[in-house]
Amino acid sequence: MVKHIIPDTLSEALKYLYQGDFQVFAGGTDLMVQNRSWSETSIEFTKNMLYCFNLQELKGITAIDGRIEIGAMTPLETIMNHPDVPSLLSEAIGEMASPAIRHIATLAGNIGNASPAGDSLPVLILYDAWVELRNMAGFRMILLKDLIIGPRKTVMHPEEMIVKIVIPKHRFDFERFVKVGGRKADAISKVSFAGAVDIEDGKIADLRLTFGAVGKTVVRNETVEGAWIGMTISELKNGIWRLIDMYDPLILPIDDQRSNKHYRKTVAINLLRDFVDQL
Amino acid sequence: MQKDISISVNKIDNYEKISGCAKYVNDVQIEGALYAKTFRSPIISGEIVSITVPKLPDGYFAVDYRDVPGKNGVKIIKDDMPIFAEKILRYFGEPILLIVGPQKSVVQSLINKIILETKLIEPIYDESNIAINYHYEKGNPQNAFSSANRIFEYTYQTGYQEQAYIEPQGMIGYSEGDKITLIGSIQCPYYVKNAVLLALGCSSEQVRIIQPAVGGAFGGKEEFPSLMGCQLAVAINKIHKPIRLIYEREEDIEVTTKRHPAIIRMKAAVDSDNSLVAISSDIRLDGGAYLGLSNVVLSRAMIATTGAYTIPNVDCSGIVYLTNTVPNGAFRGFGAPQIFYAVEMFLNHIAKDLGIDPLDFKMKHLAKQGDLTSTSGTFRDPILMNDLIKRALEISDYRRKSQKYKLENQLRGMGISLFFHGCGFTGSGEATIIKAQVKLHKDEQDNVDILIAAVDMGQGVRTTMSKIVAHTLGIPMDKVRFPYPDTDFVPDSGPTVASRTTMIVGGLVAKAAQKMHDRWQNGVADTVIEQYVQPDYIVWDEATFHGDAYPAYSWGVNIVDVSVDKVTNQVTLEEAWSVYDLGKAIDDLVIKGQAEGGITQGFAYGYLENMEVKNGKVRQKNMTDYIIPTALDTTKITTELIDNPHAGGPYGAKGAGELTLIGGAPAVAMAIENAIFRRVHNIPVTPESIMELIEYGNR
Ligand SMILES: Cc1cc2nc3c(=O)[nH]c(=O)nc-3n(C[C@H](O)[C@H](O)[C@H](O)COP(=O)(O)OP(=O)(O)OC[C@H]3O[C@@H](n4cnc5c(N)ncnc54)[C@H](O)[C@@H]3O)c2cc1C
Repeated sequence: MVKHIIPDTLSEALKYLYQGDFQVFAGGTDLMVQNRSWSETSIEFTKNMLYCFNLQELKGITAIDGRIEIGAMTPLETIMNHPDVPSLLSEAIGEMASPAIRHIATLAGNIGNASPAGDSLPVLILYDAWVELRNMAGFRMILLKDLIIGPRKTVMHPEEMIVKIVIPKHRFDFERFVKVGGRKADAISKVSFAGAVDIEDGKIADLRLTFGAVGKTVVRNETVEGAWIGMTISELKNGIWRLIDMYDPLILPIDDQRSNKHYRKTVAINLLRDFVDQL
Repeated sequence: MQKDISISVNKIDNYEKISGCAKYVNDVQIEGALYAKTFRSPIISGEIVSITVPKLPDGYFAVDYRDVPGKNGVKIIKDDMPIFAEKILRYFGEPILLIVGPQKSVVQSLINKIILETKLIEPIYDESNIAINYHYEKGNPQNAFSSANRIFEYTYQTGYQEQAYIEPQGMIGYSEGDKITLIGSIQCPYYVKNAVLLALGCSSEQVRIIQPAVGGAFGGKEEFPSLMGCQLAVAINKIHKPIRLIYEREEDIEVTTKRHPAIIRMKAAVDSDNSLVAISSDIRLDGGAYLGLSNVVLSRAMIATTGAYTIPNVDCSGIVYLTNTVPNGAFRGFGAPQIFYAVEMFLNHIAKDLGIDPLDFKMKHLAKQGDLTSTSGTFRDPILMNDLIKRALEISDYRRKSQKYKLENQLRGMGISLFFHGCGFTGSGEATIIKAQVKLHKDEQDNVDILIAAVDMGQGVRTTMSKIVAHTLGIPMDKVRFPYPDTDFVPDSGPTVASRTTMIVGGLVAKAAQKMHDRWQNGVADTVIEQYVQPDYIVWDEATFHGDAYPAYSWGVNIVDVSVDKVTNQVTLEEAWSVYDLGKAIDDLVIKGQAEGGITQGFAYGYLENMEVKNGKVRQKNMTDYIIPTALDTTKITTELIDNPHAGGPYGAKGAGELTLIGGAPAVAMAIENAIFRRVHNIPVTPESIMELIEYGNR
């Protein structure tokens, strides 16, 4: 029989996690679906469950010293509506699931689930978001892009949990998020894209590009981005084919029941080109 | 002066549905009811070598074909589908046995422990196993083709469509002595009853079917519940305890009937003044593993092979082939959505090849009153298509917008479809198979009960029938009651299908009400029974497809404005307009509900809803992967009606339920075609296929 624990405090939660065989349950919108069973029977969890939705310490959003800290148990809806939250993130959340799901689902859950199609991920990775992990002994900060290493795979230890998502505060001169789902709402992404640019004295000071659902994890490549720093927008526009060539080998989508490789790849490239066109 | 019957009233089930107090089958509580779950074929095609059921704890049962006292075949048309598989397994998920018992978790674990040994048989997915082969002709197509000025030939393909009713299939039943009662989410109480009678081999008084509130059906609860009803009745007959059999969504999507995928080859002969002189079509439906209703679906498609047009020479063939896939069956439109899609696209393509305006070309061939139908029957009633089209063009500004979009070349396009739906059963089905009967009963307080087997699955039948009776009797709506159908109390007024309910059943109800009205005495109980009599002008030869296929036709025009995103190739419906002739609306809002729901489902069939069966298995088997439109995917829809009362229907009403779906797919596919300047042949036109068309398609 699996155990079901509802801790009241973070330290209590961490004590259970220390045992090594508990799984954190936040909003449960992934877990309940993944472990679904015949209706009216108990859900088929295979691990002990640690229900963390009562941990007040992990709820809320604070803006300090040039960064935004989002508590792991803060519902997506609260995040989406918060004035300090970067606009692209609010936009991405606005395209996730449906109001009912956003009411209980969390950003930490979207990260913990580590789906290649997780919609907050391209945006968080674009912002260079960090994740604060805690265990009984202490905490560590890790860049989100280093946390997720494959579909449903992270480098989190079983006795660790996400307590915060930390986003450096920054306003880009131009930014954009596009989600391509099977319909206009409540759909899993076939492809997603986020892009942002800063321009100083007519030159590109920062360029960030991320792609979702076209590989095992979000595609971002700082070397490619860096190659354009110091150039002008028109140089970028003129170099669009070179830019596309640089991403071509990095974008490796699959065929599945929602779409196919060819579509995903072509749209990802189209989104990149369109982003540059719009600059 | 009585007020116009079309003026809308509050739908009588609004309160129970909105408040949540409506009782659906899964809300029905019966003391001590056991749970049943189906053990299904884990293979696609093969033979059972052995089944080992684990030792069953006390109170748990396994029910299989050996428990069927009557025929192990579900009464549909040919009874070819077994209630429980005996030896041969023909599709993934085919039912083999039920495990029944008091605790779901135990039932589930027993199912998990069943060991099935099988011998695989190479599955068939192609057309090699032909079950039905029909053919008919009108005029002299051979001559017409041999002397034609030009001949055109194109092939069209349509995909699966899942009904996606909000309430999955389910049934609960119990026994009292040797009588079995089933309460189910169904469209056709008497279909279930007759199927159970055959399965149990018992007499009519021993089976009772009750319909609770039904959460949508769209044809999906026409023949499929007969299978569940037989299984449940067999189980109750064995165990003598109440049992419930309710499907989960994924189980429902994987194993219940869907719209038949079709391949339709069309060939036309055109003479020197650009007139269509002959059409030849070949319609191929994938029936899935068992025939079910497929041959009737095929007939309806074949009869409509000339679309809304009069074409003097016709050569039409059709087949149903069986494959090792989930059986396909009834779905709103019943063959018509496939054929109208093909015909509308075909005429559009011929016109483009001829370099003439597709709408002008179509209008030149529109069927008119007095014309011969494709099956050499007669269109007896006035056909108002010209008025419908004129109005639709006006409210949509179709001509100007089409021209403008064409010149702008901004991936924006208009599409238009012209179509009809034959109301009621095909041919003499009403008289020879259904023989509908309705009953009205008035008590001493002058309350009138409508006793019919018509099912309100959300489409508004309880409201419209009550309105017909209240109107005819001149009594308030609250003096009329429409209890949920119960075969112990209502006569067999036929299934709730084929756009027959308002016209045929409602017509009988109106007649009965008129009789009651004419002999009305306050405070005196009265009962009136009315029986269907086929109009004598209907002559239909089923073998040769000759004569009047339907007593009446409803007509429609759909127009849609779409844009295609140049970056993602996603389609946005910008606006839609429809004008219908469905005789007379019994209630304007009920019709608006049918019209908006129908066209939304029809559009989605054309561009959004995508289902593939790969290696015998449904790939999109839940509501995450099977995409149906949300409110955000719909658009502003304007619907207008032009009255054209039909003498055989109550207050002139004809059919409306299916009509409103049929034109959606061709309109949206054509709009996409015009937006991307590429010929569309297959639906759904998903963004993936739009991308392919833009890359490789023909202009
Ligand atoms: C109808 C529906 C629509 C959806 N639509 C979308 C969509 O459009 N886009 C999208 O990206 N997702 C979508 N989802 C998926 C889901 O809602 C999101 O991934 C959501 O963010 C998960 O959050 P949660 O709090 O519910 O996670 P949970 O289900 O509670 O957890 C998910 C995973 O994260 C782990 N986890 C959670 N919190 C922590 C923590 N603090 N520390 C460590 N691990 C943790 C859990 O152990 C689990 O493995 C949808 C889901 C549903 C049911």
